[in-house]
Amino acid sequence: MIPNAPEIGKLLFIICFWICAIFLPVWLVSWAVGVLLPMLLEQGSPSMAMTATAETLRALTPIISVMVFIPINAMFMVLYERRALALFTVRLGPNRVGPDGLLQTAADAVKLLFKEDITPRGADAFMFTLAPIIFFAPSIFGALPLLAAITNNHSLYQITNLPTGIFYILAAASLPVVALVMAGWSSNNKYSLVGGLRAAAQAISYEIPLVLSLVTVCLMAGSLDVVKIAQQQDGGILNWNIAGGGALRGLDKAIQTKLGVETTPLITPQQSSDPTETPVAAPTTFEEVIHQYYPFEFLSYISAGVLIFCSFILLGLYLTGACAEINRIPFDLPEAESELVSGYNTEYSGIKFAIFFLAEFTNLFIVSSIATVMFLGGGDNPIPQWLLNKMPLEPIQKSLGAILSPFINGLHLIDPDTFWAAFWVIFKVYTFVFIAILIRGTLPRFRIDQLMDFGWKRLVPLSLIAFLVVVFARVLVVCHG
Amino acid sequence: MVSDTTSRPLKTDEMIINMGPQHPATHGVLRMVLTLDGEIVTHAEAVIGHLHRAQEWQGQNRTWFQYQALIDRVDYLSGMFTSWALARSAEVLDGCEVPERAEFLRVIVSEMNRITSHLLWLGTYLIDLGAMFGFPFYPFREREKLLDLFEEIAGQRMMFNYIRIGGVQRDPKPDWFTRLRAFTKEFPDRVDEYEAIVTENPIFLKRTKGIGILPLELAMDYGVTGPSLRASGNNLDLRKTKPYSIYPKLEFKVHTLDKPEGGDTWDRYILRIRELRESTEIIKQCLDMIPEGPIMNKKQIAGMRVKAGEGFSAVESPRGTLGCYIISDGSDKPFRFRWRNPSFCNLAVVGEMLVGSPIADIMAIFGSVDVILPDVDR
Amino acid sequence: MGSNLIGRAFESFKRIGEGLRTVLMHSFREPITKTYPDTVSQIAPHFRGRLALSVNPDTGEHLCISCRQCERVCPDKCIEITAHKSPETNKLELIDFKIDHGLCMFCGLCTEVCPTTCIINTNDFEMADYTRESLVYDLRRLTLTQEESAFYFEAKDMPKPKPKPPKPAPGAAPAAGAAPAGAKAAPVGAKAAPAEGAKPAAAAADAAKPAESAKPAAAPAEAAKPAAAPLEATKPAEDAKPAEAAAKPQDSSTEPAKTVGDTTAKPEEKPTASPEVKEAEKEKAPEQGADADKKEG
Repeated sequence: MIPNAPEIGKLLFIICFWICAIFLPVWLVSWAVGVLLPMLLEQGSPSMAMTATAETLRALTPIISVMVFIPINAMFMVLYERRALALFTVRLGPNRVGPDGLLQTAADAVKLLFKEDITPRGADAFMFTLAPIIFFAPSIFGALPLLAAITNNHSLYQITNLPTGIFYILAAASLPVVALVMAGWSSNNKYSLVGGLRAAAQAISYEIPLVLSLVTVCLMAGSLDVVKIAQQQDGGILNWNIAGGGALRGLDKAIQTKLGVETTPLITPQQSSDPTETPVAAPTTFEEVIHQYYPFEFLSYISAGVLIFCSFILLGLYLTGACAEINRIPFDLPEAESELVSGYNTEYSGIKFAIFFLAEFTNLFIVSSIATVMFLGGGDNPIPQWLLNKMPLEPIQKSLGAILSPFINGLHLIDPDTFWAAFWVIFKVYTFVFIAILIRGTLPRFRIDQLMDFGWKRLVPLSLIAFLVVVFARVLVVCHG
Repeated sequence: MVSDTTSRPLKTDEMIINMGPQHPATHGVLRMVLTLDGEIVTHAEAVIGHLHRAQEWQGQNRTWFQYQALIDRVDYLSGMFTSWALARSAEVLDGCEVPERAEFLRVIVSEMNRITSHLLWLGTYLIDLGAMFGFPFYPFREREKLLDLFEEIAGQRMMFNYIRIGGVQRDPKPDWFTRLRAFTKEFPDRVDEYEAIVTENPIFLKRTKGIGILPLELAMDYGVTGPSLRASGNNLDLRKTKPYSIYPKLEFKVHTLDKPEGGDTWDRYILRIRELRESTEIIKQCLDMIPEGPIMNKKQIAGMRVKAGEGFSAVESPRGTLGCYIISDGSDKPFRFRWRNPSFCNLAVVGEMLVGSPIADIMAIFGSVDVILPDVDR
Repeated sequence: MGSNLIGRAFESFKRIGEGLRTVLMHSFREPITKTYPDTVSQIAPHFRGRLALSVNPDTGEHLCISCRQCERVCPDKCIEITAHKSPETNKLELIDFKIDHGLCMFCGLCTEVCPTTCIINTNDFEMADYTRESLVYDLRRLTLTQEESAFYFEAKDMPKPKPKPPKPAPGAAPAAGAAPAGAKAAPVGAKAAPAEGAKPAAAAADAAKPAESAKPAAAPAEAAKPAAAPLEATKPAEDAKPAEAAAKPQDSSTEPAKTVGDTTAKPEEKPTASPEVKEAEKEKAPEQGADADKKEG
């Protein structure tokens, strides 16, 4: 069969183990802080102070769960990357610490924390210390709006939802560049300086296609609110932004009508009705629905195709820009090892280096989850509604619900919607991470001037063109928003 | 695009950077003093000698027998060729005939060594270009297989001491030939894989096409040999131009690229890839043609002597013409040694090639010339 | 221009996709990694690893004839042979054989010149140690057991050494010296004789050395200590060496030790051994005094 099956199995085992190791603590901590403690505090007739404390705890839940999540996630991603690269290169990867190397990165993290923290002579010690902190901070607070989106707007995480969420995320994502320049400059090392400056140049250039692609998605969705964008895409793969930003929604609805499936979503709550959606109830045949969503017949079909094509390009643009933004191969010029030794973090060691490392992998996770929310429907499951209803899932769901009902209703330990949303988000995000690893295992590095050329002369025009095309094509089809 | 940036009116302060000898990408202990204008190199100077081990002097102070064991260290990636150059020079002096089977074995092992050397170059070159984590392992994987074969035949994986004056050291077992044959069968597929990943990769093309151009005149002025020269259009390959050993009996092609403006780094890459295939073909032919017979014509004893006289001979190493000039006074020690190392001459031209290129290209250019520092410093 | 650009873009995507596919497909191949300490890969028989001295696989005699060929040919001068001429047999006797593996470059020249195929390259490459001094292997650490020798003789296709000719009385050792194989074995055998007599001295010398060599001899050292004390004072340490060399294999119960035991445990050998020791003492008294000082200091 597959000669490498044991190794692939081990990798899958590692992924499953670590995902549990990441999300069980996050889940339990956020449940304890956000549900259990407030519940206990508010028992009976709570005093003002009690209620206030409970509210504060609820408000703190997102940030606490993020703080728990980030270090464990980074540990997992490093191991994931190493094991996956080992698969690609016909090796075994780390396999000594713990069963099958499960705990390798935990051991590495402990080692890094206990290493001597060196500040080189001639370095600006204050800036040198500040740089990793500034680098790391945005990855904590920048990701917060995503939480609401990927937990399906769970009541505990609604606090993180901003009406202009995507702007906030992008603003936060552009902060680390300052830290890189600081790190490069304060290290008192020529290679570091060049690395830091490269980081600045690269981040500024690639921010533009990145932002333009996301703005185009916002345009398709008609909103800057990540939660709204995520919820719009509910109901299977045809509704996702990757499928033309809702250009196939008419097809989805038409099939539903034809199959006579009731339109209420099975898992997610009913979304707020849009003006375009109100007449949906009226048509009853396939053709009518199609006509309603694609009013200009042939032109509409064409523009739906164009929209789909554009959304793939937008995803490509976004991933390219994001790769450059977080300095991954093939855009890892700020730390190009064969040129700049290790770029801006040449002089860093010990815990400061660990923080850089942590932030890099957290950033990878964040850009992947942005892609998930913006393009792949966030926590939505990919199976279209009508297909899902055909499946004999009802009895399973009922029996599961019966078993879990004390947890759901009594302790509020499990929220089924949130659980499934989180499951799909994790699946999609780590698939993006896998692609990033695969790219890292294949491609060589750009040269800095080629990188700039590629950014300004290819990506920026392309994203502008995509933006314009979407603006016009969108008029001809009834889409999201 | 590069020239645009060099001719810009805005002049910044010159920055002098020492690249190496401890830089992670300088392939050993080369120090390059770079004068930079921004990121553009305006002057480059290679400072060599960090690895000087007085190989020639050591040769004069050791017996022939002892020195044979040492010269694998001159160019540690192609030890067979240094051994061969020495053996051929000494055989010229001594007038001893090399048995035919030994000649075949010499060709087989040195073509194997050419493959290992090129494979190592391929892996490290991709590391130079930034593909650090995936691709470089593939060439090394194939190289390991050949090194295992070397280990079996010569005793060690890189320091062979296999080709001796008058023949070769050991006759491999039939099993060894079977394994080598199996390798030659699967190796072209592996090269196809490398090519699928690298050759037409747009980023690789961007990094290598049109940079580090080495015009033919410049190359010849500096005495560049080997794949770097052939990529610039000259077909100097001692295996064809001054045929030695059993090469006249073999059918093979010397790959050259006809480039009037001079070969760039991509040309040097593709030339080595073609040489990989060609060497595999040579090994296949040799495996079919190899006769039975003795393998050694000169007694390998501690006090081995070589007749008095002067002798020079050169072989085509993976890096170019590797020559060995010997004066013998008939005693058990050579009187005078002189190596003509391809890396030394090839390194000299790198300084000229670097001018006008950005920092990022330094390693791409330097790596493409395939310089081995012990071979430079001796 | 425009179509060219788009075409090139698609071409690029195709190429990158091809590369990604090739890399991804590699994940279905069996890994080539060997988890080293768990699985040791097959090492070629002619691998030039740690140097060792073999014994005759059939009889267990030591094969070294102290001809010093290896010492002379070694380009690194890492071999040091201590031997002396036996007064009875008039043959060279091996006292100690030291190889500094920290200096050795594993060229294998010594194995090529060895006339009795005594010194060989083993397959052992795991010589890592904590000090440079412990990379200097002495006769005891270099000598292989009979089984190991048999293994290497077979693996390396080396002609087996001729078994020692029937051993005459040790007094008539010169007669046996005609065949080299006999010659090299005889001194070792003769040396084992003082093993009984000079053991206290050997033990004392061992005890005086703080190094690892003290370990195997620790038990006899304790037993013989009272007796050893005066001997140590009067006798230079070097004299005890032949005894030490022979006594040690006995302690470590290796193959050579057995054979040493059965070939030489004859009562009449004792007297022949003692004059030898005395003569050596006379000859080398001045330097050995210095040596002993060095060792004790």
